[in-house]
Amino acid sequence: MQNLRQAATEAFHRLGLKQRHLGYEELSDLEDSSYPNEPQPHWFHTLQKTGLQFGTATSYLNLEKLGEGAYATVYKGISRINGHLVALKVIRMKTEEGVPFTAIREASLLKGLKHANIVLLHDIIHTRESLTFVFEYVQTDLAQYMTQHPGGLHSHNVRIFMFQLLRGLSYIHRNRILHRDLKPQNLLISYLGELKLADFGLARSQSIPGQTYSSEVVTLWYRPPDVLLGSTDYSTALDIWGAGCIFIEMLQGAPAFPGVTDVFEQLQKIWAVLGVPTEETWPGVSEMPNFKPEWFLPCEPQLFRNVWKRLGQLPYKTEDLAQQLLRGAPETESPRRTPCCTPTSTPCRPRSCTCETRCQCSRCPG
Amino acid sequence: MKYHGLAESQRLADLLEDALAKEKRLWKVPVFKNGQILGTDISQFQYQEVILWLGKLSKLFRFYPETCALGVCILNRLLASVKAQPKYLRCIAITSLILAAKVNEEDEVIASVKDLAARSGCNFSTAEILRMERIILDKLRWDLYTATAIDFIHIFHALVMSGHPHLPQRCAQKKPCLQVALWTRQVQHCMACHQLSQFKGSTLALAIITLELERLTPDWFSVFTDLLKKAQIASAELIRCREMVDEFFDSLEFAFPPNAVYILHAANIVGGHAGRPDQGPGKTRAWGAGPRWARRVRANGGGAEEVDEFYDGFGCLYNEEMAVEVGGDGTGGLGEAYQGGVSPCPPLQPPVS
Repeated sequence: MQNLRQAATEAFHRLGLKQRHLGYEELSDLEDSSYPNEPQPHWFHTLQKTGLQFGTATSYLNLEKLGEGAYATVYKGISRINGHLVALKVIRMKTEEGVPFTAIREASLLKGLKHANIVLLHDIIHTRESLTFVFEYVQTDLAQYMTQHPGGLHSHNVRIFMFQLLRGLSYIHRNRILHRDLKPQNLLISYLGELKLADFGLARSQSIPGQTYSSEVVTLWYRPPDVLLGSTDYSTALDIWGAGCIFIEMLQGAPAFPGVTDVFEQLQKIWAVLGVPTEETWPGVSEMPNFKPEWFLPCEPQLFRNVWKRLGQLPYKTEDLAQQLLRGAPETESPRRTPCCTPTSTPCRPRSCTCETRCQCSRCPG
Repeated sequence: MKYHGLAESQRLADLLEDALAKEKRLWKVPVFKNGQILGTDISQFQYQEVILWLGKLSKLFRFYPETCALGVCILNRLLASVKAQPKYLRCIAITSLILAAKVNEEDEVIASVKDLAARSGCNFSTAEILRMERIILDKLRWDLYTATAIDFIHIFHALVMSGHPHLPQRCAQKKPCLQVALWTRQVQHCMACHQLSQFKGSTLALAIITLELERLTPDWFSVFTDLLKKAQIASAELIRCREMVDEFFDSLEFAFPPNAVYILHAANIVGGHAGRPDQGPGKTRAWGAGPRWARRVRANGGGAEEVDEFYDGFGCLYNEEMAVEVGGDGTGGLGEAYQGGVSPCPPLQPPVS
């Protein structure tokens, strides 16, 4: 009900041609999240109609454009069926190719995923000319949130976000799905501080052992070294690396490895911190398709806290977690374990020999 | 792939449970009555023919076998939920395969719809296929991810390897992965048989694997009961499926007179597969003795590769015969099978002597 009111108010503002920008407060000061039950406003009936159905465009009202992605444009909208705010992802259809594979994967994967840290797909409107996915409306995303809070986030919030990110990843990995496109833009943040994984357009199910995948996944900054080197038999470690990059970015307020031009510069950035791998530290690395040692300056591994100053101001376990997430060489023994995220009372226990990740915090305050 | 340790076995158990849940949620197949799909004019022979055609296309487009299996699942689910006309059967089939590819294959592997349609030799336009795509997505509510028989082959294989480590050594010369490849081919053959299509993928996979285990090891029964328990399959159902699979494989053997010498003419092969880059003349071979592949597996355990190749040749024969039979009224039984008009799945009954 409150959502409906809010949206309608905004819609009216829009009609009155008044720009209204909703800023986001730091998560800790959100006391006004409990809404009293108020009587319906007099304009309620203009939005709510009987006989409206799911799957039809007339059931939704377009409010404003939120953003533009590679294969879709996202609008804020409102459902006339139940008054909920929604995000309308309007997918561009190629007349010759039908529904893009990204849309098919996203929808059919999300059909099987129901989790507090995964964005919820409400409805699909599919006509000959257009395709729209109706998602739950989430106020902002991590990229915007970090822009609004420059210089790094409060460590408590980093804990809350990291916990939810790893819990969401743990869930999809348990379902044998790789997200493959982790980046701050794809992590939605609600006004309550909930984090939700979104944009499963590049995700895929990895039920098949030994199947190789495309190495052209993940935005360059969040792509792990083995994939940058051309590996196509990656597994869940791919998403874990991305989570590590995001962890550092949240703390530092700047991307962990901001490569500018290409794969080689990206690798150079990574190896400036982790050290250039050798056959000893990473058996088989010289066989990798893109490995050309002469292209790289020799680098020794650095202490994370020397590279990313914020880590030095926080307990050692924070650096431990970063080190577990950002591993230079893929493990060669048994296939990597699906990261498991168990809330523990002691934040971030160091783990010795697996890429299994433990969560930092046990509960979200508030 | 090696699985060891308690964590891994737990992981496999979770994997199996998850796959079974997916299958339970979405598995659906058309019902056959009086030789036709219930409520339609599609005969069981048309059905078998179109599944074999999908298998051929999947190979031609270089898709994974998993993609083909998922395509068949999509096709089955659609045929079970709508009244389809025979003239659209191929259109539904190729669209199912394209959808499976969009789900399962990497972007760079999938050619354009127009190209796939042209190479398939079906006479449907891009517009028709895209219209069908919309219908299928709508009817199946965009819920395409499911566990197929091939997925279960992989899971059961891993369970056998991890739970019964003594087994792989028994068939020492054979690499475990080759077994998976063989089982995968067997699944593909079984999918085309309308009687076997009535079994869930998990049941079919387990039937194929336990038939093989029975041939390999005397204590197969303990492995069998172990898998049966893990897979939560009713034993009566599995035994029925095993018997049918066994008879089906036998019937494939009986399709050829025993001890005949077969010579595949190069001209035939090249003509039949002109568009297939992966089928070079190297595949053209003469086969001595009867194609009793099951026994060959048993007799020369070391001939895994030979069996595979043999199987390819067999598939070749099989597909060619099918191409001849397209559009036939499909009333041919075993008698005809002897004369060369081989039905992909003859009625399951003892052969006429």
